[in-house]
Amino acid sequence: MDHEFSADEETLKDIASELTRFEIKRSNVIPILQMIQERHAYLAPEAIRMVAEHLGMAACEVYGVATFYNQFRFQPPGKHQIKVCLGTACHVKGGDIILENFERKLGISEGQTTPDREFSIDRVACVGCCALAPVAIVDETVYGKVAPSKVEGLILGFEIEKEKEERRKQRDESN
Amino acid sequence: MEEITLTINGKKISARPGSSILDAATENGIKIPTLCHHRHLTPVGACRICLVEDEKSGRIMASCVTPVSQDMAIRTDSPTVRRHRTNIVRLMMANHPESCIVCSRGNKCELRQVAADLGVGITGLYPMPYYRGLEQANPFIIRDLSKCILCGRCIRADHELVVVGAIDYNLRGFRSRPATAHDMPLEKSECTFCGTCVSLCPTGALSIGNPRYVGSPEKESATVCGFCGVGCTLVMGSVDGQVVETNPSHEDETVNQSTLCVRGHFAHDFLNVKERLTRPLIRKGGELSPSTWEEALNLISERLLSIKKTHGPQSLGLYGSSKCTNEENYLFQRIARSLLETNNVDNGGNVNGLSTMNAVAQRLGGSIPPARLSALEDAEVILVIGADPTQSLPVVGYFLKRASRNNGVPMIVADPRKNGLVPFASLWLPLSPQTDSDLIHALAAILYKREAFDARYIDRFTQGFDLYQKGLAAFDLGRASRSTGLESGLMEEAADQLQGKKIAFVVGQGVLLQRNGVQTMHALLNLALMTGSLGDQKRGIYILASENNGIGALDMGCAPGFLPGRGLVTDEARREYWERIWGVRLSPDPGLSMVRMVEEAEKGNLKALYVMGENPLRGFPEIERVRRAFQNLEFLVVQDILSNETGALADVVLPGAAFSEKAGSFTNLEGRIQSFESVVLPQGEAKPDLEILAQLAYRMGQADQDFSLLKIRREIRRVIPAYSELRDDPGQSWVTEMGDLGQADEEGHPVEFTPIAFAADRLRDDTYPLEGILTSTRLHLGSGTRTGLSARITGFSQGGDVELSFEDAARLDLVNGDQVRVSSKYGAVARRVRVKKDLPFGLVYIPVAFYGNEARQLVALTQPGKEESPGWMQVSVKVEKIENNEQ
Ligand code: SF4
Ligand code: SF4
Ligand code: SF4
Ligand code: FES
Ligand code: FES
Repeated sequence: MDHEFSADEETLKDIASELTRFEIKRSNVIPILQMIQERHAYLAPEAIRMVAEHLGMAACEVYGVATFYNQFRFQPPGKHQIKVCLGTACHVKGGDIILENFERKLGISEGQTTPDREFSIDRVACVGCCALAPVAIVDETVYGKVAPSKVEGLILGFEIEKEKEERRKQRDESN
Repeated sequence: MEEITLTINGKKISARPGSSILDAATENGIKIPTLCHHRHLTPVGACRICLVEDEKSGRIMASCVTPVSQDMAIRTDSPTVRRHRTNIVRLMMANHPESCIVCSRGNKCELRQVAADLGVGITGLYPMPYYRGLEQANPFIIRDLSKCILCGRCIRADHELVVVGAIDYNLRGFRSRPATAHDMPLEKSECTFCGTCVSLCPTGALSIGNPRYVGSPEKESATVCGFCGVGCTLVMGSVDGQVVETNPSHEDETVNQSTLCVRGHFAHDFLNVKERLTRPLIRKGGELSPSTWEEALNLISERLLSIKKTHGPQSLGLYGSSKCTNEENYLFQRIARSLLETNNVDNGGNVNGLSTMNAVAQRLGGSIPPARLSALEDAEVILVIGADPTQSLPVVGYFLKRASRNNGVPMIVADPRKNGLVPFASLWLPLSPQTDSDLIHALAAILYKREAFDARYIDRFTQGFDLYQKGLAAFDLGRASRSTGLESGLMEEAADQLQGKKIAFVVGQGVLLQRNGVQTMHALLNLALMTGSLGDQKRGIYILASENNGIGALDMGCAPGFLPGRGLVTDEARREYWERIWGVRLSPDPGLSMVRMVEEAEKGNLKALYVMGENPLRGFPEIERVRRAFQNLEFLVVQDILSNETGALADVVLPGAAFSEKAGSFTNLEGRIQSFESVVLPQGEAKPDLEILAQLAYRMGQADQDFSLLKIRREIRRVIPAYSELRDDPGQSWVTEMGDLGQADEEGHPVEFTPIAFAADRLRDDTYPLEGILTSTRLHLGSGTRTGLSARITGFSQGGDVELSFEDAARLDLVNGDQVRVSSKYGAVARRVRVKKDLPFGLVYIPVAFYGNEARQLVALTQPGKEESPGWMQVSVKVEKIENNEQ
């Protein structure tokens, strides 16, 4: 499939073999989707299709069911996972503005991943450091009192890092 | 059942138990506004606009989903109801974008109508439209989901009527919208672009991509689709004498109800292309140049009569059209037989497979009794063979999918590849190509051994069962299993599903055009007789006629060997009947098929040919041979709506009116005769074919006859008993019984069983190791002359990719998208490759109708259905990669 978030062969094989454990009935659709998300972190287009085929449903129906619930992801988590807290304290302190800043900067919405799979954004509820509100967690690091300017800086940092990495690689190759 | 009585708005009415309040009201002329309700869809009660009030309890309820109950008292228009309704509409409008004013749904928008009726102008609410980008990457359907009111009609149309499953609701709440899986554009989903969802959308959220016109057409008129043998009823919208849009008709009782397919919906673009012929042309000094009707018709009449005089009537040939009306085909063959005294008449549908059906129909005294498509939905069991109606006759596909999905009808699909019906089948029999007759014999033999046959039926309607049952008893099932490549267990399983049931057979071009087509048809008929599955319109054999009037053209006698009403020319009594009616002597010679006419033209025996509404120089195999044969003619007349390959060779070209520009009738594959009127006037100086033929008959010596539409219809009703109900006014009637089965106990003859024989061995050729199979796709019809001129169809896909199995692709070192040359003994085509995981190896599927229908050049010019013919379906080929530098 020509989709930017296609799953790899191995994932598909795993799903195929796991699917055989589920009886063919429509009521199994959610347990199956949960199983896939648990094992592979998201529901790839091919995965949806496989589930549909297994249950004799249309792919759009399976997708429709999946999108009805907030628990499912349709894009793989990015290399850098950004989680913005929207718990009560963070919300009051403008967490939504921070979320929006991340979204705008990366051109994706919460629950999505950039096409190069570098970043993904999610919202989370209180992470237990309300004193630092608004809070964002990037790759296990907690950032407190996040301001829009900090968002810029964070992303810029990652981008510079990546560029350096690439330059290093190029140098290694030309040597 | 006891009727229920209730009052609506104080008026006492009665209703069937179980019907909804809405239905009861509508039946009694009480109008309740609706948005999500549609009579062909399951009611869901999503929009709440149809609210009514229960007078006793004051309860407000959605009338479309609330059943009536005894002594109910309903108000449909109380102040409370109005207040609620108005609020609902205000909320919908607040969610609606401003582009409403320039919406292409225009004054047909049901939301706008409801709002206007309720006097909702300014909503007084904070507008909060939910903007989503306009989706219009495909040429067919534009989605502007900011105008969506979440009525779900499109989703139900997609799931319940056409059973595709391309769209469903995703997300929820404010952001919920009907969408494809992963919210991909439609062209990346299962969508077939049938446009049914667009026709049913009450708002402008879904609209058709119309490069020529935006807005509501001035005028809408009903007609019948010009493409396949389903004969969908349409309404065409027109502006300034041009057809600008097509939708399923709003009439009840149509074959297609609210559905259409991509061709019916979008491919009628050909009606307005620049290739339309608008003036008569005569070849002068080697060039076709404009002339007058007078000059052209005089020339034709003189030339035909003088060639007949010098070379005899056998030197004349006439090729009629499965796309022209019944009346036209009747007059066409009448001119041939009675005025030109030749029986050399044929039509395109006959050449393209229906002759195979005919060869077998004679066992039934003329025709296979037509069965109704609606009966498929409650059939006992269905056997689909040599057909993928999801591509060829999509609306038949809808019937079959609904039968299986909604009613659980078991459906056995016999096809070498996993076609579009297989996911809906109860059993798939992936048999080897051209072994269908072996499979049918095997099924009959297994059923016979289980004593699962209808002895009473056999006794009453048939003869020769003795011999047939000996054949069945001795049948070598092992050999059948080897030839078909089907394990015996699979065939037993099929027999399990068929046992004790009346079978509905669905037979497509895969049988009609194949080498063993006639044999397969005989085998099918035997099985149908043995199981008593024929004769009551409820089951039987459905022949998938690919052209919209293939059946009608045959019924009208526009085929070699057949008189009108399917009587044989060689039958003296039948001939006498027509001699009395037409007041002439008829030749006992059965006449030449079009393929034979080409051969006789090659030899110089056929001198003149009159082609009406067909394009053999695109539709036929071995085009160069046909071209030379036509160049050999002394005189070629082409009467058509489009300037095409055949017309380019003609001595005279006459511009005909398209079906939408004339009145007439078509007979669909289930024997439904639909009379229709014109939608717009003919283009330029073009004339309806009937009028052209009438004027020609007048000049050729029948000045005393009136060949007007009314007169011809009256004659058809009088002299072809099966057409005694043909209507003068627009609407439908049915072909009445033409064969023996209907009256077998009175004057009908018993139907003979035929002996069993194994199909001929596969033709093998080491130079051409693969089997090429020619297939049709839903985007095109026939040779693609008309569909290929539809900008939207061609804009959607270059298409025509050949399909190969993984194994063959690996062996030939091919990947998706590679260019290949597919060649046979007769010709070659260059195409792109698509590698398919479900294809059996050794097979190459080659779509016809693309690139001038060149795929037909791979097969030999023979008449399918004749003994020695290898058919037009399949041919030994080889596939070679074309390297980039060769291109
Ligand atoms: S066009 Fe037809 S197939 Fe496509 S979504 Fe609409 S109803 Fe379904
Ligand atoms: S797109 Fe049209 S038919 Fe579909 S839910 Fe929206 S308004 Fe209804
Ligand atoms: S091509 Fe056939 S199925 Fe499609 S709309 Fe026309 S008659 Fe109906
Ligand atoms: S609300 Fe954000 S950390 Fe508690
Ligand atoms: S029409 Fe009854 S709820 Fe929509």
